Amino acid sequence: MTKKSNLSVFTNGILRENPVFILILGTCPTLATTTNVFGAFGMGIAALLVLVCSNFLISILRRVIPSSVRIPCYIVIIAGFVTIVEMLIHAFLPELYDMLGVYLALIVVNCIILGRAEMFASKNTVVRSVLDGFGMGIGFTAALCAMATVREVLGAASFAGIPIPFLEEYKIEFLVKAPGGMVVYGLLIALVCVITSGKGPKKKSFGCTGCPSVGLCRSGECEKVSEV
Amino acid sequence: MKKSIQSLLALVCICAVVTVALALTNSLTAPIISKNESASANAALLEVLPDGGNFDVLDLGTYTLPSTVTEAYRAENGDYVIKLETVGYSSGLILMCGVDADSIVSGVVCLSSGETLGHEKTYGDNFVGKSADGAEAVDTVSGATKTTSAIRGAVKDALNAVIILGGGSVDIRTEEEILNDNLSAALPTAEGEFEKHFFVEIVEGVDAIYTAVNGAGAVCVVGEQFIGVDADGTVVTDCSDELVGIVTAAMTTVGATVTEDIDLTAYEGLPSQLVLAERTASGNYVLEIKGAGYGIVGGDTYHPASGEYIIIRVSMTGDGRIIDCLTVSEEETDGIGSACADESFYGQFDGKTEENYNDVDAISGATYTTDGYKKAIARAFESVKIFEGGEG
Repeated sequence: MTKKSNLSVFTNGILRENPVFILILGTCPTLATTTNVFGAFGMGIAALLVLVCSNFLISILRRVIPSSVRIPCYIVIIAGFVTIVEMLIHAFLPELYDMLGVYLALIVVNCIILGRAEMFASKNTVVRSVLDGFGMGIGFTAALCAMATVREVLGAASFAGIPIPFLEEYKIEFLVKAPGGMVVYGLLIALVCVITSGKGPKKKSFGCTGCPSVGLCRSGECEKVSEV
Repeated sequence: MKKSIQSLLALVCICAVVTVALALTNSLTAPIISKNESASANAALLEVLPDGGNFDVLDLGTYTLPSTVTEAYRAENGDYVIKLETVGYSSGLILMCGVDADSIVSGVVCLSSGETLGHEKTYGDNFVGKSADGAEAVDTVSGATKTTSAIRGAVKDALNAVIILGGGSVDIRTEEEILNDNLSAALPTAEGEFEKHFFVEIVEGVDAIYTAVNGAGAVCVVGEQFIGVDADGTVVTDCSDELVGIVTAAMTTVGATVTEDIDLTAYEGLPSQLVLAERTASGNYVLEIKGAGYGIVGGDTYHPASGEYIIIRVSMTGDGRIIDCLTVSEEETDGIGSACADESFYGQFDGKTEENYNDVDAISGATYTTDGYKKAIARAFESVKIFEGGEG
């Protein structure tokens, strides 16, 4: 892979490698927390904070952490940051805490964060890792907000909890339910695909190296199999 | 070896640092979180008691309160908020009930529930401004009888609890407990276990007889009086000679009843639902009959929810007057049709004849069950006519 500029590291996550619409990572919180723009934004910011902090720390420690125990180390670091963020949200934004419920704690197992730790932070400098964390976090937040806007405005006739009276009679309640989330998700993925005219990275460029288990398997072999 | 020690050290160090960071964050946020939580708990208290102000949690250990009461709070102005946990359609129906110092309900809010129809969210509003008598008069909601009567019961418990917390005393026993206490007082040797006697003879003057499970005798209920009779037939409760006469006569009648089984194959045209029939020496009948409940709509279609019959036992005179009626078993919907097993329903058939047995109150929300039950009663009349030699 050619070395990218710092700017492109940052912008990479926002559109070209958007974690939600291109990499299709973090699907669970994407579907669960996008019924309301406020909740989606909160979820995005929480994930962004964890992403930046964990990328920062893992990048610093990338030469210290022995490769055989790196996954447990990443999990401990990520879980630590998630718990800290959770406590802070519980204390200072109780409303958001109630809205996100268990999905806040589930950021620990969000593939975006572990994926970026493994794929990027463990191989790049601190500055680039933090930029990658910001880019991916903003991409995640933007994607959640876009999806939540569609679902909340059309499904519940409100935006971030503020009612939109003239839509009240035309709201499609299906959209705020789980199947509606799937449909909106699919449509948005299609839309992003059209906008980028399929210029997103091909599977090959992020496939095997992006897999958190890459170190455990005989690298590249699974890819050969999957390409057959 | 060196490598594994290195790995171990790295992991331990990272865990230690993360633990310290978590401890620091926790010490910073824990007081704020607990403050927020008590504020939101206080908000729930204020919802049911708007003029409450600050609340003190009461120590309930020293009081004997209704079992549904889990927590109690006293407001600065002397009003109370009672937290109750009861069982509606399912367990875990948690309510908050505000009661002012004059024992008037100021608000009822459902905190959590596993109920199905949502009545628990609004039903509590019916009690606002009501006293104990007013709360008693609030109707339950048809189709959600279990939920709403549980809430009504809980509100009454809350009102009783406030009287007790205020230093007064109330009878917090359930109707069943009161009955059992009265029975035990009349016949202590029964050790508190009684069975209601199923009448097969018309017994004048006695409303009900409860026999001791251990064979120590029986208790006759005459109006409001409970009169104990020991196993030899001697009246053991102090009462007037007239009552002694009534009770002795009743016990003699009951004790002398001889029944013989009727061979059902000897009669033609009997309803197929008739399970068992007996005739007494005095010419009365005891029948066990299956009825189609919600389980079997229209007589033969099995409803997926249940496939069992209701089985009833009914005793009647040869000329077709019901003496006693009882639900032996039923598999109707819990909380709706299952009410057919309550005495308040089947007791209505006592003394009815073929002309007026339809004039009983239906079970709220359970038309199929009620109809099935009435059909079974109709079959009893039909069977007795055949036994008596008349037309079926």
